[in-house]
Amino acid sequence: MLDIRSARKVFYKGQADEKVALDGLSLSLATGEFGIVIGSNGAGKSSMLNAISGALVLDSGKILINGADVTAMPVHKRATRLARVFQDPMRGTAASMTVAENMLLADLRSQKRTLRQGLNATRLASYKERLSILGLGLENRLDTRVDLLSGGQRQSLSLIMAVGGSPDLLLLDEHTAALDPRTAEIVMQATVRAVNALKLTTLMVTHNMQHAVDYGSRVIMLDAGRVLLEVSGEEKARVTVIDLIGHFSIKTDRMLLAS
Amino acid sequence: MGFIPDVLTSFVAIMPVTLAQSLILAFVVLGIMIPFRMLNFPDLTSEGAFPLGGCVCGVLLAAGVSPLTCIVVAFVAGFAAGCCTAFIHLRFRIHTLLAGILMMTMLYSINLRIMGKSNLSVFGSPTVFDWVPFARPGFPASKIVVAGLLALIAFAALYMFFRTEKGTAVRAVGANPDMAEAQGINVWAATIGGVGLASAFSASSGALMVQSQGFADVNMGLGILINGLAALMIGEAVVGKQTVSRQLLAPFAGAIIYYQLVSFCLAAGMPPPDLKLATGLFVLAMLALPSLKRSRGPAPAREAVRE
Repeated sequence: MLDIRSARKVFYKGQADEKVALDGLSLSLATGEFGIVIGSNGAGKSSMLNAISGALVLDSGKILINGADVTAMPVHKRATRLARVFQDPMRGTAASMTVAENMLLADLRSQKRTLRQGLNATRLASYKERLSILGLGLENRLDTRVDLLSGGQRQSLSLIMAVGGSPDLLLLDEHTAALDPRTAEIVMQATVRAVNALKLTTLMVTHNMQHAVDYGSRVIMLDAGRVLLEVSGEEKARVTVIDLIGHFSIKTDRMLLAS
Repeated sequence: MGFIPDVLTSFVAIMPVTLAQSLILAFVVLGIMIPFRMLNFPDLTSEGAFPLGGCVCGVLLAAGVSPLTCIVVAFVAGFAAGCCTAFIHLRFRIHTLLAGILMMTMLYSINLRIMGKSNLSVFGSPTVFDWVPFARPGFPASKIVVAGLLALIAFAALYMFFRTEKGTAVRAVGANPDMAEAQGINVWAATIGGVGLASAFSASSGALMVQSQGFADVNMGLGILINGLAALMIGEAVVGKQTVSRQLLAPFAGAIIYYQLVSFCLAAGMPPPDLKLATGLFVLAMLALPSLKRSRGPAPAREAVRE
């Protein structure tokens, strides 16, 4: 469960280029709910995700994950509860390390790291099995350095790493935006399968209105640092791309093209 | 006798001495490699940590402390110095190189304070090299045995550590700090600990060197960094850096080859003052090689600097 209570963040406070990124934003996501976040550039989507992950410290407001107040927790401590897939495939994986080592790092996200050997036969077997679900052949490349993989493969790996260990909260930051259409579809399908199978509480930011219509149980539209619109339940089932775009107050050409 | 046999004779004659020296200095190379390659933290602290270890060891030896204890204390002092460099970088967001320069400049004064003078002779004090059976104290064989054994222990310990869960996490911090943090790894702890450990090795090297040469000097670190870097480059060129074991072996192999090369150049009549220029040019060439290779054919307009 995620609970954001009147989160506020101002950049360059008191200067000419002061920017209110989050303007008393409140949002609540029940356990197992799949929320889709849309909004124009600068609406506060990234700021919100960064505030949840801890990369951005709030000026005021509170963030609770599964009832625990994480507002003052640094990124690495919050990581025991949440997992994140970045837009840039480079950011979510360690390039100079192998596929298996990356899986190990994700595996230990919520555990205490010991002085025991990291990669053992049991772990390697389980990584092989988890990666085989993707059908990209990554299970046979456990010893390959990640920088030799394609962007799509890296992003798929990031996803498998993120959903492993069933995090309390999964953050997806336009995670298919940098991929070609076919790979994006593979990653998106894998995402939906994992989220449904593990009943993960998920927040996905996207510019793809079709994804917003097709997936998730709730659409949350941000504008100027606050929630402008929420569509859920029956209404969410009926909503169309045209409906959503109608709510954008800015030029919608890009959104139409993107969908 | 001709020129070439002459050179070879004098080169071979000092080979064991050079080998002993290079095994001791391999720890500085290790102290340069760990931050540079494992943590992506180019660090200059070793130029100050090496004499720090030497000065600490010198003062303690003069006070009659056991030579092994001297090395342990030097190790701890070096660790503290490395931690300071990492902390300066992390807390004040000062560039790693500048943090290292600050630290090594300040260490110069600290080293002088520790010794009270710029030079201290500890000739005749007991050393760890005396403990080798069947070898005459003060001769290269005992130094080769002790330093070689320590090198073996350090290599094995580091190799095992970097394969553990904690060790993998430390390497992740060097590979991608954002990702490491998002995987629940405390980047501060890993960086401070890693750079600290590296400087501890540099300081231990200084302590061993003092016991080997019989005196401590505040200027003993002068140029140690560029020598170490040259050794590392050679080591990586020879044994590679693709795997953890190769990356860890590179400092040792590099140190051994580099110092033999230097000794050969000196035996061949190169004036010692030119040595630094030659070393600098060599490091430059090794660093420039990849970009020279790439620039054949149409050069890209702008390339990310990643070495």
